[in-house]
Amino acid sequence: MDYSLSSSSSSSSGLVSERRGIPGASFVEDVQMYLHQLGLDVNSALAFLQERLQQYKLVEMKLLAQQRDLQAKIPDIEKCLDIVATLQAKKGTGEALVTDFEVSEGIYSRARIDDTGSVCLWLGANVMLEYTYEEANALLEKNLENAKASLEVLVDDLQFLRDQVTITQVTIARVYNWDVHQRRSKQVGTTVVGDS
Amino acid sequence: MQKQGGGSEIEVTWEDQQNINKFGRLNNRFHEIEDEIRLAKEANENLEDASNELILTDEEMVRLQVGEVFVHTPREDVENKIEQMKEVTMKNLEKLEEEKDSVVAQMAELKKILYGKFNDSINLEED
Repeated sequence: MDYSLSSSSSSSSGLVSERRGIPGASFVEDVQMYLHQLGLDVNSALAFLQERLQQYKLVEMKLLAQQRDLQAKIPDIEKCLDIVATLQAKKGTGEALVTDFEVSEGIYSRARIDDTGSVCLWLGANVMLEYTYEEANALLEKNLENAKASLEVLVDDLQFLRDQVTITQVTIARVYNWDVHQRRSKQVGTTVVGDS
Repeated sequence: MQKQGGGSEIEVTWEDQQNINKFGRLNNRFHEIEDEIRLAKEANENLEDASNELILTDEEMVRLQVGEVFVHTPREDVENKIEQMKEVTMKNLEKLEEEKDSVVAQMAELKKILYGKFNDSINLEED
Protein backbone atom coordinates (compact mmCIF):
# COMPACT_ATOMS: atom_id res chain seq x y z
CA MET A 1 0.00 0.00 0.00
CA ASP A 2 1.24 3.44 -0.84
CA TYR A 3 1.52 5.35 2.39
CA SER A 4 1.89 8.78 0.93
CA LEU A 5 -1.44 8.18 -0.72
CA SER A 6 -3.20 6.68 2.26
CA SER A 7 -2.14 9.43 4.61
CA SER A 8 -3.50 12.08 2.30
CA SER A 9 -6.36 9.82 1.34
CA SER A 10 -9.85 11.16 0.74
CA SER A 11 -10.97 14.71 0.96
CA SER A 12 -11.48 15.01 4.67
CA SER A 13 -12.16 18.40 6.14
CA GLY A 14 -11.59 19.72 9.64
CA LEU A 15 -10.28 16.48 11.09
CA VAL A 16 -7.73 15.89 13.80
CA SER A 17 -5.11 13.51 12.49
CA GLU A 18 -4.25 12.02 15.87
CA ARG A 19 -4.66 12.47 19.58
CA ARG A 20 -2.21 11.00 22.05
CA GLY A 21 -1.23 8.19 19.73
CA ILE A 22 -4.77 7.40 18.60
CA PRO A 23 -4.90 7.82 14.84
CA GLY A 24 -7.82 9.80 13.53
CA ALA A 25 -10.27 8.18 11.14
CA SER A 26 -10.63 10.11 7.93
CA PHE A 27 -14.09 10.96 6.76
CA VAL A 28 -14.81 9.70 3.27
CA GLU A 29 -16.61 12.13 1.01
CA ASP A 30 -16.82 9.87 -1.98
CA VAL A 31 -16.53 6.10 -1.64
CA GLN A 32 -15.41 5.50 -5.20
CA MET A 33 -12.65 8.08 -4.95
CA TYR A 34 -11.63 6.72 -1.59
CA LEU A 35 -11.21 3.19 -2.94
CA HIS A 36 -9.40 4.50 -5.97
CA GLN A 37 -6.98 6.54 -3.87
CA LEU A 38 -6.23 3.63 -1.58
CA GLY A 39 -5.90 1.35 -4.56
CA LEU A 40 -8.04 -1.23 -2.77
CA ASP A 41 -11.00 -3.27 -3.85
CA VAL A 42 -14.12 -3.33 -1.70
CA ASN A 43 -13.22 -6.45 0.26
CA SER A 44 -9.72 -5.34 1.18
CA ALA A 45 -11.00 -1.89 2.11
CA LEU A 46 -13.63 -3.46 4.36
CA ALA A 47 -11.02 -5.75 5.91
CA PHE A 48 -8.73 -2.79 6.52
CA LEU A 49 -11.54 -0.79 8.15
CA GLN A 50 -12.64 -3.73 10.29
CA GLU A 51 -9.08 -4.17 11.49
CA ARG A 52 -8.89 -0.49 12.35
CA LEU A 53 -12.17 -0.82 14.24
CA GLN A 54 -10.78 -3.72 16.25
CA GLN A 55 -7.73 -1.65 17.13
CA TYR A 56 -9.95 1.18 18.29
CA LYS A 57 -11.95 -1.23 20.43
CA LEU A 58 -8.75 -2.47 22.04
CA VAL A 59 -7.65 1.06 22.88
CA GLU A 60 -11.14 1.80 24.19
CA MET A 61 -10.91 -1.13 26.59
CA LYS A 62 -7.54 0.10 27.81
CA LEU A 63 -8.81 3.62 28.36
CA LEU A 64 -11.94 2.38 30.11
CA ALA A 65 -9.78 0.39 32.54
CA GLN A 66 -7.73 3.52 33.24
CA GLN A 67 -10.92 5.47 33.77
CA ARG A 68 -12.22 2.90 36.26
CA ASP A 69 -8.93 3.07 38.19
CA LEU A 70 -9.06 6.84 38.42
CA GLN A 71 -12.71 6.81 39.35
CA ALA A 72 -11.85 4.50 42.24
CA LYS A 73 -8.83 6.57 43.24
CA ILE A 74 -10.74 9.82 43.65
CA PRO A 75 -13.09 8.62 46.43
CA ASP A 76 -10.07 7.01 48.13
CA ILE A 77 -8.30 10.36 48.31
CA GLU A 78 -11.50 12.00 49.47
CA LYS A 79 -11.72 9.46 52.29
CA CYS A 80 -8.20 10.34 53.37
CA LEU A 81 -9.06 14.03 53.33
CA ASP A 82 -12.11 13.26 55.46
CA ILE A 83 -10.13 11.56 58.18
CA VAL A 84 -7.44 14.27 58.19
CA ALA A 85 -10.21 16.86 58.58
CA THR A 86 -11.64 14.84 61.47
CA LEU A 87 -8.26 14.79 63.18
CA GLN A 88 -7.79 18.45 62.52
CA ALA A 89 -11.15 19.28 64.09
CA LYS A 90 -10.00 17.63 67.32
CA LYS A 91 -6.75 19.55 67.34
CA GLY A 92 -6.29 21.80 70.32
CA THR A 93 -9.31 20.41 72.18
CA GLY A 94 -7.04 18.16 74.23
CA GLU A 95 -9.48 15.30 73.69
CA ALA A 96 -8.31 12.12 72.09
CA LEU A 97 -10.09 10.82 69.02
CA VAL A 98 -11.69 7.47 69.89
CA THR A 99 -12.16 5.12 66.97
CA ASP A 100 -13.03 1.53 66.24
CA PHE A 101 -10.84 0.12 63.54
CA GLU A 102 -10.67 -3.16 61.72
CA VAL A 103 -7.80 -5.37 62.85
CA SER A 104 -8.61 -8.20 60.55
CA GLU A 105 -11.65 -8.92 58.50
CA GLY A 106 -14.67 -8.63 60.79
CA ILE A 107 -12.56 -8.06 63.91
CA TYR A 108 -12.52 -4.59 65.38
CA SER A 109 -10.53 -2.99 68.15
CA ARG A 110 -10.64 0.41 69.77
CA ALA A 111 -7.94 3.03 69.44
CA ARG A 112 -7.38 6.32 71.17
CA ILE A 113 -5.60 8.74 68.90
CA ASP A 114 -3.95 11.44 70.99
CA ASP A 115 -3.69 14.89 69.59
CA THR A 116 -0.16 14.70 68.26
CA GLY A 117 -0.71 17.16 65.46
CA SER A 118 0.62 14.87 62.79
CA VAL A 119 -0.35 11.99 60.54
CA CYS A 120 1.64 9.58 58.47
CA LEU A 121 0.85 9.25 54.79
CA TRP A 122 1.66 6.14 52.85
CA LEU A 123 3.47 7.36 49.76
CA GLY A 124 3.91 3.99 48.12
CA ALA A 125 7.05 1.98 47.43
CA ASN A 126 7.15 1.04 51.13
CA VAL A 127 7.62 4.62 52.21
CA MET A 128 5.56 6.39 54.84
CA LEU A 129 6.15 9.98 55.82
CA GLU A 130 4.95 12.01 58.78
CA TYR A 131 3.16 15.27 58.02
CA THR A 132 1.41 17.97 59.99
CA TYR A 133 -2.32 18.08 59.36
CA GLU A 134 -1.94 21.14 57.16
CA GLU A 135 0.81 19.56 55.06
CA ALA A 136 -1.09 16.31 54.76
CA ASN A 137 -4.17 18.20 53.71
CA ALA A 138 -2.27 20.18 51.09
CA LEU A 139 -0.64 17.07 49.68
CA LEU A 140 -3.90 15.16 49.49
CA GLU A 141 -5.67 18.10 47.89
CA LYS A 142 -2.96 18.24 45.27
CA ASN A 143 -3.28 14.53 44.60
CA LEU A 144 -7.03 14.93 44.28
CA GLU A 145 -6.62 17.77 41.85
CA ASN A 146 -4.17 15.77 39.75
CA ALA A 147 -6.44 12.76 39.70
CA LYS A 148 -9.39 14.88 38.60
CA ALA A 149 -7.34 16.54 35.88
CA SER A 150 -6.13 13.16 34.59
CA LEU A 151 -9.70 11.91 34.55
CA GLU A 152 -10.79 14.90 32.51
CA VAL A 153 -8.09 14.30 29.91
CA LEU A 154 -9.01 10.64 29.81
CA VAL A 155 -12.69 11.42 29.24
CA ASP A 156 -11.69 13.68 26.34
CA ASP A 157 -9.50 10.92 24.91
CA LEU A 158 -12.41 8.50 25.12
CA GLN A 159 -14.70 10.94 23.38
CA PHE A 160 -12.19 11.43 20.59
CA LEU A 161 -11.79 7.67 20.28
CA ARG A 162 -15.53 7.09 20.12
CA ASP A 163 -15.87 9.66 17.36
CA GLN A 164 -13.25 7.75 15.38
CA VAL A 165 -15.14 4.51 16.02
CA THR A 166 -18.37 6.10 14.79
CA ILE A 167 -16.68 7.50 11.70
CA THR A 168 -15.17 4.11 10.91
CA GLN A 169 -18.49 2.33 11.42
CA VAL A 170 -20.25 4.77 9.14
CA THR A 171 -17.50 4.37 6.55
CA ILE A 172 -17.83 0.58 6.66
CA ALA A 173 -21.59 0.83 6.16
CA ARG A 174 -21.11 3.23 3.26
CA VAL A 175 -18.45 1.17 1.49
CA TYR A 176 -20.71 -1.85 1.90
CA ASN A 177 -23.74 0.03 0.60
CA TRP A 178 -21.77 1.41 -2.29
CA ASP A 179 -20.72 -2.12 -3.24
CA VAL A 180 -24.29 -3.44 -3.04
CA HIS A 181 -25.45 -0.57 -5.18
CA GLN A 182 -22.63 -1.13 -7.64
CA ARG A 183 -23.49 -4.81 -8.05
CA ARG A 184 -27.15 -4.04 -8.46
CA SER A 185 -26.56 -1.57 -11.27
CA LYS A 186 -24.19 -4.05 -12.91
CA GLN A 187 -26.92 -6.69 -12.81
CA VAL A 188 -29.35 -4.29 -14.38
CA GLY A 189 -26.65 -3.46 -16.90
CA THR A 190 -26.34 -7.08 -18.01
CA THR A 191 -30.06 -7.64 -18.42
CA VAL A 192 -30.89 -4.30 -19.91
CA VAL A 193 -28.36 -3.65 -22.62
CA GLY A 194 -27.39 -0.06 -23.10
CA ASP A 195 -27.43 0.90 -19.45
CA SER A 196 -24.27 2.81 -18.75
CA MET B 1 -26.56 4.09 16.24
CA GLN B 2 -25.10 2.58 13.16
CA LYS B 3 -25.97 3.21 9.62
CA GLN B 4 -27.89 0.21 8.43
CA GLY B 5 -26.91 -1.64 5.29
CA GLY B 6 -29.62 -1.21 2.74
CA GLY B 7 -28.05 -0.14 -0.49
CA SER B 8 -29.97 3.10 -0.70
CA GLU B 9 -27.92 5.92 -2.15
CA ILE B 10 -28.06 8.99 0.01
CA GLU B 11 -24.89 10.99 0.16
CA VAL B 12 -23.35 11.33 3.59
CA THR B 13 -21.67 14.66 4.18
CA TRP B 14 -19.10 15.64 6.78
CA GLU B 15 -21.84 17.59 8.51
CA ASP B 16 -23.99 14.44 8.74
CA GLN B 17 -21.02 12.55 10.12
CA GLN B 18 -20.49 15.21 12.76
CA ASN B 19 -24.14 15.00 13.73
CA ILE B 20 -23.89 11.23 14.01
CA ASN B 21 -20.76 11.60 16.17
CA LYS B 22 -22.53 14.11 18.37
CA PHE B 23 -25.48 11.81 18.73
CA GLY B 24 -23.16 9.00 19.74
CA ARG B 25 -21.50 11.15 22.38
CA LEU B 26 -24.83 12.27 23.77
CA ASN B 27 -26.09 8.72 23.87
CA ASN B 28 -23.01 7.69 25.86
CA ARG B 29 -23.40 10.58 28.23
CA PHE B 30 -27.09 9.71 28.64
CA HIS B 31 -26.20 6.26 29.96
CA GLU B 32 -23.52 7.68 32.23
CA ILE B 33 -25.99 10.16 33.68
CA GLU B 34 -28.55 7.42 34.27
CA ASP B 35 -25.94 5.48 36.26
CA GLU B 36 -24.89 8.56 38.20
CA ILE B 37 -28.51 9.37 39.01
CA ARG B 38 -29.07 5.84 40.26
CA LEU B 39 -26.00 6.09 42.51
CA ALA B 40 -27.01 9.51 43.82
CA LYS B 41 -30.48 8.22 44.64
CA GLU B 42 -29.00 5.25 46.47
CA ALA B 43 -26.70 7.53 48.47
CA ASN B 44 -29.64 9.70 49.32
CA GLU B 45 -31.72 6.76 50.52
CA ASN B 46 -28.84 5.53 52.66
CA LEU B 47 -28.52 8.92 54.30
CA GLU B 48 -32.28 8.99 54.85
CA ASP B 49 -32.12 5.56 56.51
CA ALA B 50 -29.20 6.67 58.66
CA SER B 51 -30.97 9.77 59.93
CA ASN B 52 -34.09 7.73 60.69
CA GLU B 53 -32.03 5.27 62.70
CA LEU B 54 -30.45 8.15 64.59
CA ILE B 55 -33.87 9.35 65.70
CA LEU B 56 -34.61 5.92 67.15
CA THR B 57 -31.36 5.43 69.01
CA ASP B 58 -30.79 6.70 72.53
CA GLU B 59 -27.05 6.42 72.44
CA GLU B 60 -25.19 9.64 72.97
CA MET B 61 -22.08 8.48 71.14
CA VAL B 62 -22.47 7.14 67.64
CA ARG B 63 -19.82 5.42 65.56
CA LEU B 64 -19.48 7.31 62.32
CA GLN B 65 -17.48 5.82 59.51
CA VAL B 66 -14.78 8.18 58.31
CA GLY B 67 -12.36 6.73 55.81
CA GLU B 68 -11.63 3.22 57.04
CA VAL B 69 -12.40 3.65 60.72
CA PHE B 70 -15.43 4.30 62.91
CA VAL B 71 -15.07 7.51 64.85
CA HIS B 72 -16.95 7.90 68.13
CA THR B 73 -18.93 11.04 67.54
CA PRO B 74 -21.65 12.82 69.56
CA ARG B 75 -25.07 12.11 68.08
CA GLU B 76 -25.83 15.76 67.44
CA ASP B 77 -22.69 16.22 65.33
CA VAL B 78 -23.60 13.18 63.29
CA GLU B 79 -27.10 14.52 62.72
CA ASN B 80 -25.65 17.78 61.41
CA LYS B 81 -23.17 15.98 59.25
CA ILE B 82 -25.85 13.81 57.69
CA GLU B 83 -28.00 16.84 56.96
CA GLN B 84 -25.04 18.45 55.20
CA MET B 85 -24.33 15.34 53.17
CA LYS B 86 -27.99 15.08 52.21
CA GLU B 87 -27.93 18.62 50.93
CA VAL B 88 -24.86 17.91 48.81
CA THR B 89 -26.36 14.76 47.26
CA MET B 90 -29.68 16.50 46.62
CA LYS B 91 -27.93 19.32 44.79
CA ASN B 92 -25.90 16.84 42.81
CA LEU B 93 -29.07 14.93 41.90
CA GLU B 94 -30.78 18.10 40.72
CA LYS B 95 -27.80 18.99 38.56
CA LEU B 96 -27.81 15.52 37.00
CA GLU B 97 -31.54 15.64 36.26
CA GLU B 98 -31.05 18.98 34.56
CA GLU B 99 -28.21 17.67 32.44
CA LYS B 100 -30.27 14.63 31.53
CA ASP B 101 -33.12 16.81 30.29
CA SER B 102 -30.74 18.83 28.17
CA VAL B 103 -29.12 15.68 26.70
CA VAL B 104 -32.51 14.17 25.88
CA ALA B 105 -33.61 17.40 24.18
CA GLN B 106 -30.42 17.58 22.09
CA MET B 107 -30.78 13.95 21.07
CA ALA B 108 -34.38 14.54 19.97
CA GLU B 109 -33.20 17.48 17.89
CA LEU B 110 -30.48 15.43 16.19
CA LYS B 111 -32.91 12.58 15.58
CA LYS B 112 -35.20 14.96 13.74
CA ILE B 113 -32.34 16.13 11.51
CA LEU B 114 -30.86 12.71 10.83
CA TYR B 115 -34.15 10.86 10.30
CA GLY B 116 -35.24 13.79 8.15
CA LYS B 117 -32.36 13.14 5.81
CA PHE B 118 -31.84 9.39 5.97
CA ASN B 119 -35.33 8.11 6.81
CA ASP B 120 -35.04 4.42 7.64
CA SER B 121 -31.51 4.09 6.27
CA ILE B 122 -30.29 5.06 9.70
CA ASN B 123 -31.22 3.59 13.04
CA LEU B 124 -30.76 5.71 16.13
CA GLU B 125 -32.70 3.53 18.55
CA GLU B 126 -31.23 1.21 21.15
CA ASP B 127 -31.38 -2.51 20.34
